[in-house]
Amino acid sequence: MHIRYIVLMTVALLLVVAPLAAQEATTITWLNCCNWPSEEVIAEFEAENPDINVEVETVDFNALFEQIQVRLGGGASDPDVLSVDVPVTAGYGLRGWLLPLDDAFSDEDRADWLPAALAAGTYNGELVSAPVSTSTQLLFINSDLFEAAGIEVPGVDDRLTYEQVADIAAQLTQDTDGDGITDQWGFSWEQTVRIYQLQPLAVGLGGQSIGDDGLTVDGVINSQAWIDGFTFYSDMFNESRVAPQDDTIGTSDLFWSGKMGMMIAGPWNINRYLREADDIDFDWTVARHPYFENGEVTTPTGSWHIGVNINSDSPDEAKRFVQWISTGAGAEAWWRRGSGDFPAQQSVLAQFQTDEEFDEGVQYFLRVAADEATVNPDPRAVSPGYLEYEQILQDAFQDIRTGADVEESLNLAVTRIESEMVKYRG
Amino acid sequence: MTGRERYIPYLFLLPALALIIIFNLFPTIATLIESLHGNSLVRGGRVFVGLGNFNRVLNDPVFWKSMQVTGLFSILVNPIQVALALGLALLANSKVRGITVFRSIYLLPVAVSINVTTVVWGLMLNSEGGLINGILNLVGIERQPFLISPSHALWSIIILATWKGVPLWTLFFLAGLQGIPQTVLEAARIDGAGRWQSFRFVTLPLLRGVLLFVLVADTVANFLLFAPVLLLTRGGPQLSTNLVMYETYRRGFVYGDLGVSSAMLSLMLLLVFAVIGVQFTLLRRRA
Repeated sequence: MHIRYIVLMTVALLLVVAPLAAQEATTITWLNCCNWPSEEVIAEFEAENPDINVEVETVDFNALFEQIQVRLGGGASDPDVLSVDVPVTAGYGLRGWLLPLDDAFSDEDRADWLPAALAAGTYNGELVSAPVSTSTQLLFINSDLFEAAGIEVPGVDDRLTYEQVADIAAQLTQDTDGDGITDQWGFSWEQTVRIYQLQPLAVGLGGQSIGDDGLTVDGVINSQAWIDGFTFYSDMFNESRVAPQDDTIGTSDLFWSGKMGMMIAGPWNINRYLREADDIDFDWTVARHPYFENGEVTTPTGSWHIGVNINSDSPDEAKRFVQWISTGAGAEAWWRRGSGDFPAQQSVLAQFQTDEEFDEGVQYFLRVAADEATVNPDPRAVSPGYLEYEQILQDAFQDIRTGADVEESLNLAVTRIESEMVKYRG
Repeated sequence: MTGRERYIPYLFLLPALALIIIFNLFPTIATLIESLHGNSLVRGGRVFVGLGNFNRVLNDPVFWKSMQVTGLFSILVNPIQVALALGLALLANSKVRGITVFRSIYLLPVAVSINVTTVVWGLMLNSEGGLINGILNLVGIERQPFLISPSHALWSIIILATWKGVPLWTLFFLAGLQGIPQTVLEAARIDGAGRWQSFRFVTLPLLRGVLLFVLVADTVANFLLFAPVLLLTRGGPQLSTNLVMYETYRRGFVYGDLGVSSAMLSLMLLLVFAVIGVQFTLLRRRA
């Protein structure tokens, strides 16, 4: 009887205490982008912070902006944490959607971030989005396809001109099975219609991304530099047809399946290769980002930041997570096992130059990329209307890619963007 | 009828009325209120802007372009759908062997969601490896840029919307046709009316009520068409499929400009009422 009493009491105690113990952990949600693998990183954070559970919602690039507009614009308390593409920081700050994060970071944390990244996350003197990563682009090359076509494979430190890229791409584009459909492509951009990757086409020829007031686009994105840059872009898809118009299979997938000779893409592809090396059976290398023969060398740059929803029900827990993933060990974990984007922390970036693991092989490409990130990086437009600017330009690039007249498409984009910027002119 | 009994019909109407108020009337009023407000980018928060949003919309070339596209789309798609639905209903109403199988097959699109329909049509219309281009290629016709050319894209949306919409309207016409007394048709035949005359002077006038309903419902449904544009063309190429509903969504949920989006919706509502009014008047006058 006595034993039965003890057992009953224990079970009762467990039933009461166990849920209480489970309730102690606070759950926060992180609206994240682009299907980045996050399980391992989250597990590391939760192991260090057992009182916080992080639930990740991942959406694609365009959907991320829509979700933020709808949810934060509607005053929702979730997500608690959100990934922020850096050019939209000003817009979100202007709308008051992000919680100031100054008290979550020490002076040491701040000093470690790249100064440009810290400045980009600051709005009205307050830090509203913490820098997580920065980026650059390289030319990825399928060495096997080059050799099969009798073309010399460029060295890692070589920088081809766009004209050379077009010429080589024409030689690599083939219908290998003779069914009338191209099945081996010469070249494409990884983010085919995004200004992030395409801006150097215009800026490299002397163009600007946006007017000096951050609002005007007439005379800027329809200038001769833009028309010339995007005529080259159009020709790759429509004249020489060395790049696929159809995006059912993404550029990166085509390249890693051995069906594309060259792509301009982010160094995160190197991490992808490291994860999928067993399935990739061709030799590849990288070269520096291309430039126009009569233009300047300029490289894409930009970074992902992370912010806290101003209406979050768990702002302290959200800030702790944001602080962890944007500094020190968390930042390194996110770079190594998460998105693979370049870290925005100088201490982590320094590892590319000092660690032996980057001395040779595929890892050496990361050291090259870290250096390339310093070669005339051209940030995207800073504008409160960046979101509209980016989305409308996507439409224009999509139209150009599928054969629309370049000047007409850029002029249409001017009309649309100017019409949207009216509300920011006050 | 006692005083209590007098209220019983209203009691039965109450659930439907409540649903209409919650899901139709309330959102409409909320939209009208929202159209008079905007986000103050300087002070932050929502502020009353009067008719400012309407002023912006009416001076916006992109809105007028999407009105033009919506107008063209409606002028093309509604007559095509109504004519096809009526033709299919006449076929389905004929008494031939295997007609029940035909009736089951043509109804299938009704059971498929618009999103699934759109994705499947998107794959079939793909300009590189789509099924339709594959068939065209086999018979020696060159590949068509169905979804990526401004001259093709709107027609592709019309075909998709027609495939999805016609079977439902056929069902209404079929019900209408089966409600026409055989004796009237026989009397016409005895009086010497041919097939066309029977259809023109007996069937069609007796279908007037159904025709009016289908015309109005179809017009409204097509004004509200959204998923195919979102999933296939995102309003492009070069705004050639930028229907007002999609532009409204883009302003509200992509650019976060709910005031302007609501103003566009309010104007759209007025337009729908105006078009339906014209349809009612024309059909009544003919009657």
